[in-house]
Amino acid sequence: MSDIMDLKNDQTLMAISTGDMSWNKTGSWRYMRPLYENKIPPCTVGCPAHEKIPQYFALVKEKKYKEAWETILPDNPMPGVTGRVCYHPCENVCNRGEYDETIAIHNMERFVADQNLDNHIPEYLVSKEKREEKVAIIGSGPAGLSAAYQLVRQGFKVTVFESANEAGGMLRIGIPSYRLPREILDKEIDDIKRLGVEIRAGITIGKDLPLSNLQKNFDAVLIAVGAYKSWGMQIPGEELKGIRSGLDYLKQYNLQEQATTGKNVVVVGGGNTAIDTARSALRMGAEKVTIVYRRSRAEMPAVPEEIEDAKKEGVQFVFLANPIAFHGNGSVQEVELIKMELGEPDKSGRRRPNPVKGSEYRIEADQVLLAIGEVPDLEFTEGQFKLLHDRLNLDNGQMTSQKGIFACGDAANGPIGTVVDAIATGHRAATAIGQYLRNGKVALNGKMESGVPFDTINLDYFVNEPRPKEQQHHPETLKENFEEVNLGITIEDALNEANRCFSCGTCTYCDNCLIFCPDVAIHLDPVKHEYIIDYDYCKGCGVCVHECPRNAMAFEEELKWNK
Amino acid sequence: MSQQLIDIPEVELMGKGHVACPGCGSTVAMRFVLKALGEETMAVIPACCWTIVDGPTPSSVLKIPVMHTAFETAASAASGLKHGLDARGEKNTTVMAWAGDGGTFDIGFQAISGAAERNEDIIYFTYDNEAYMNTGVQRSSATPEGAWTTTTPTKTPKNKPKKDIVEALAAHHIPYIATASIAFPEDLIAKVKKAKEIRGMKFIHIISPCPPGWKSLPNDSIRLARLAVETKIFPLYEVEDGWKYHITHESKGTPVKEYLKAQGRFNHLTDADIENIQKTMDRKWKMLKMKEKLSLEEMEVLD
Repeated sequence: MSDIMDLKNDQTLMAISTGDMSWNKTGSWRYMRPLYENKIPPCTVGCPAHEKIPQYFALVKEKKYKEAWETILPDNPMPGVTGRVCYHPCENVCNRGEYDETIAIHNMERFVADQNLDNHIPEYLVSKEKREEKVAIIGSGPAGLSAAYQLVRQGFKVTVFESANEAGGMLRIGIPSYRLPREILDKEIDDIKRLGVEIRAGITIGKDLPLSNLQKNFDAVLIAVGAYKSWGMQIPGEELKGIRSGLDYLKQYNLQEQATTGKNVVVVGGGNTAIDTARSALRMGAEKVTIVYRRSRAEMPAVPEEIEDAKKEGVQFVFLANPIAFHGNGSVQEVELIKMELGEPDKSGRRRPNPVKGSEYRIEADQVLLAIGEVPDLEFTEGQFKLLHDRLNLDNGQMTSQKGIFACGDAANGPIGTVVDAIATGHRAATAIGQYLRNGKVALNGKMESGVPFDTINLDYFVNEPRPKEQQHHPETLKENFEEVNLGITIEDALNEANRCFSCGTCTYCDNCLIFCPDVAIHLDPVKHEYIIDYDYCKGCGVCVHECPRNAMAFEEELKWNK
Repeated sequence: MSQQLIDIPEVELMGKGHVACPGCGSTVAMRFVLKALGEETMAVIPACCWTIVDGPTPSSVLKIPVMHTAFETAASAASGLKHGLDARGEKNTTVMAWAGDGGTFDIGFQAISGAAERNEDIIYFTYDNEAYMNTGVQRSSATPEGAWTTTTPTKTPKNKPKKDIVEALAAHHIPYIATASIAFPEDLIAKVKKAKEIRGMKFIHIISPCPPGWKSLPNDSIRLARLAVETKIFPLYEVEDGWKYHITHESKGTPVKEYLKAQGRFNHLTDADIENIQKTMDRKWKMLKMKEKLSLEEMEVLD
């Protein structure tokens, strides 16, 4: 039998092709061009500090917890703090929420931080180039610390002045330890100090040292004093014994480990300070704690989970009521309330509460703690600065009305009231100061644009999975028990959650583009670790773009590229 | 760093530069099939799109031997090739026939029926794009009812149902039959690997979206192959020995409208037409489930 490949008169028995088709450059057919293009996810936009959430999730998937932590650090030096106390606006805009349940980003941040309790902020995050300019920061709360950290990273010399004996500001004074254990706070402050930030505690600017002294001796000054001055209610009986600000109460306990607590405590307000005050009062021995709030539950600015926990612990709530007078003989005995009803939405978008005529009634109380909002105490500035709504008025570059004096956090106008906003504005202020000291001019980036929309996610690649539940420890008796209540999520839950994340707009190297390419025109470069599209052969069908589960590709007209 | 959602073999036996249209489903199908079968494979390709796609002499985009044959002869040529290899002692080589729906449902049907009855040790693949696409979209017996083709224009769209090729082959009692979709690569590859290990006739029916013929967007090809499955229009299942039915993917039951509306060839369908198609597909799915249930019961009896 003859072999088909045997030659007979220089010819095979039938026509045989032995060449491939690589000569046929089908890329010339293309009129649309696929491209890899990572886009900003909504969570990063929603996070005031703009943490790179899908990026650190990708590292968690590979159990690279240290690298994950180091991915958060450039935007936030205190993920252990924010992973516990942040109100996580990132989750409110998470695309997964439109599919099943939002990703537990808050728990993930804490998980990553908790895996790194023995690690310190690495030196490589600090610029090798050192600068001579000195910056003074007044206040060592989250805003001041964040700014100090970012300035040190840029190579500047930073001194932080703190009136209390220990750094931390509201994190130490306002937030109870059952929410933020002090060893976590100490660890993260210590990490910042290690980078070379000098913290001078026990020095009150305006009392121990005038502001003018800082202006003279430093090239720039940052005011980050927070907001500690309570408004008061300006109603009859407010001077009675047993009535004080909730924040003062927390401060006294947190700094001195004791504060006089009544048996029957009424807390006025609906924010996180009100919840912290109420839950702390229970731990300090109060038998009954009632939160009185003038709007309804839906309008409460406090974190919903905290409200739930307060309920679990036995805090009682009176909604749609507001004190109009306090009664008592020397000490407070009764709070006179008036019922409220909700009217049209006000400037904050929440419905305005209006008193209902003739609905006054009284409840008993032997202590009243007011948590109805605070403003900064700016006496030390001696009225030198322009104010807006009792806070320092800033220009677009975080600068006050005086050249070289900047401000951030709750002391200034802008996003206020939360730890992460303080960290974010501290970062902005540090960027502004850096620009000011280097070029005398400040030009900060505008607002981050909106993230990848939900309808661009290819849902065919995801299945419904539940969000993990954070473990909690609710002690039998709260009295004297300031142990941490929230215990975070398990490693299994964290890994699962990292996989549940859509990773909107951020390539996870899932290979879908490569697998489905009809023209075998995509490969993964093993050295650079990036996908390469072979435009000699890519016909521009767009299958890769469509099958990308997370909108990390773009599809553009070829003409644009041929110009 | 890779975090794959789909796990398939890395081997690549299809090269670059083939002349299929952008977004061609049959090229993705070929890629996956060769990943499953590996190097030691020979293919027989009758007249069909792939006659052209593979490339003109002296070039071929496939890195395996390919024999091009006449339209009606894929199954018989493959049978002969397999016997020839056997005679030479090359028993480990897999022989596959790779034909379109025209060469399978219509023109090559006699040859397949013969090969199936003789239980030839080949794998017969049909990449089904539901018409004679290569010659300009003429209707075949695989064209679904209601579809436009150049020979069934929108005024008189096809009024006969699609031939049920799987049932026709099941009636031959061959060892293995499967349906597959390029949107489910793991399922497709598992079926091909399974077929490779079975001696005797194997038949694999792959739904293969065709952007020009279906009048769909090239970037929609994988999505359409997925929708065909999820709408129950093209369920994924296996039939062993002609009677053991096994559904390999539980279709979600996405409304057929979503699949039909993405293709220009169904543009003329009225809501009532679509409703009818929905009813037909629901009934066929129900019957398929019944068959699966019955065969499971029978298998228990045998055990």
